[in-house]
Amino acid sequence: MTVGDVHYRIDAASSGVWCRPEPAADQHRLLERQIDRAFFGPFFREKYGSGGDKGLENCRIRYYGPIHPASDAGELAGRRYVHEFNTVTGCTRGWHEILDRMGNVRQVRPERHNGTARTYQFDRIGRYKGSW
Amino acid sequence: MELDLQAVGRVFKDVLNGRISREQADRWAYEVVQQEENGVVTYSPPVERERIWAGVMYLYGIDTMMAPNAYLHSDDDIREAMMANIVGARSGG
Repeated sequence: MTVGDVHYRIDAASSGVWCRPEPAADQHRLLERQIDRAFFGPFFREKYGSGGDKGLENCRIRYYGPIHPASDAGELAGRRYVHEFNTVTGCTRGWHEILDRMGNVRQVRPERHNGTARTYQFDRIGRYKGSW
Repeated sequence: MELDLQAVGRVFKDVLNGRISREQADRWAYEVVQQEENGVVTYSPPVERERIWAGVMYLYGIDTMMAPNAYLHSDDDIREAMMANIVGARSGG
């Protein structure tokens, strides 16, 4: 299991609505993603995307919050909140993730609307290590 | 729901004083985020909206742990974030 798999599972578990990942994007799809980002950007970028945003192939836009640094966490650099918007369904989901100093995602904690949280941990090359 | 820098600053201080847990601060911030998504949050004064929101988004996830029973952030991290987002804002910096 990888970080990407966890994001995929978060979606299935939390929203119940998701898009099947598409094969490699052609020019038309790339243009669609750019239009989506430009159109929907103002709704979310200010609130959730101060660290940047990215249009994904599966009709989603991912907004990255600023990294909140951790001064005493060894190889871990800090955490950020990620907010994802599905331009087809209008569904959103979010999670907190911890990055290491190389910029790799090392932990993912999805927001669970029932109040319980589970943290998924990965090694420096993205292999799943376990959860608690 | 009206939100100002003082309210957000109070949550930071309560965490640092141990009056509330980090988990409670995270849930408070989560509630604000939900209210914001519903469009019912107003910021006072409106010109401070960005800093108030930055404080809320710091508190949202403040209970993140790097390992079971080991918080990612030290109290110094939290104090620094409070100074940057809240105290600095009040003094105009």
